[in-house]
Amino acid sequence: MPSIYINIALAFTISLLGILTYRSHLISSLLCLEGIILSLFIISTLTASNIHFSLANIIPIALLVFAACEAAVGLALLISISSTYGLDYIHKLSLLQC
Amino acid sequence: MTYVLFTLSVLLVMGFVGFSSKPSPIYGGLALIVSGVVGCMIILNYGGAYLGLVMFLIYLGGMMVVFGYTAAMAIEEYPETWGSGFEVFGCFLVGLMMEVGLVLWVLEFDEVVVVVSLNDMGNWVVFEGEGLELVRGDSIGAGALYDYGRWLVVVAGWTLFVGVYIVIEITRGN
Repeated sequence: MPSIYINIALAFTISLLGILTYRSHLISSLLCLEGIILSLFIISTLTASNIHFSLANIIPIALLVFAACEAAVGLALLISISSTYGLDYIHKLSLLQC
Repeated sequence: MTYVLFTLSVLLVMGFVGFSSKPSPIYGGLALIVSGVVGCMIILNYGGAYLGLVMFLIYLGGMMVVFGYTAAMAIEEYPETWGSGFEVFGCFLVGLMMEVGLVLWVLEFDEVVVVVSLNDMGNWVVFEGEGLELVRGDSIGAGALYDYGRWLVVVAGWTLFVGVYIVIEITRGN
């Protein structure tokens, strides 16, 4: 197996850790979600090019479509939080209201 | 140069550590753009010119621009960068040290055996055949989305439409 996959899987894991830990902003976790999608795009493109399976090039494009929807919904939630509180700080979020 | 792809993937991991160490979102977006550019160069080295262009146009030019505007709305007065404060700099340094350790491991043993054995450096020679026709594998494959993947196009288009409607409903609030 090509050894470049170590680094790209490592990038995926680092972004996953970035989503699971919070600092002060909520949008930083959404940015790490975008990083996950970027690493998945690169992995699927490299696999499809490595084994010369041309039809598998559909997978990165379809992934990008659904990633765009996901990013849009995440940003819309962020905007609704930001319009309630002024900024998207984590410590302002409570379970009682959004 | 055998190790150019591996060097690019090391730069990719460094870019990912740059935004996973959670500086202010503007600097995180900058690190994500740099990671996207490096990822595009990795894809180009494997002969995927079409998918590299797709990534530049749609991922960086579409989604990152939206992220940049939203981060500009949700930003504070003094954004913290990688050099300000100990937490962000410490996380960044730990990530870099781990990556340096991995590079030394690969240079020493030439393989990494975790679950599978990743040992192929993969010298790629992109073969341009002579003759009258040249078929690019990636653009032909992605074009098959509209042929074999007709139903996927319908589902994805409907998903995007419903996604826009959901976004409008969320931002409308009450």
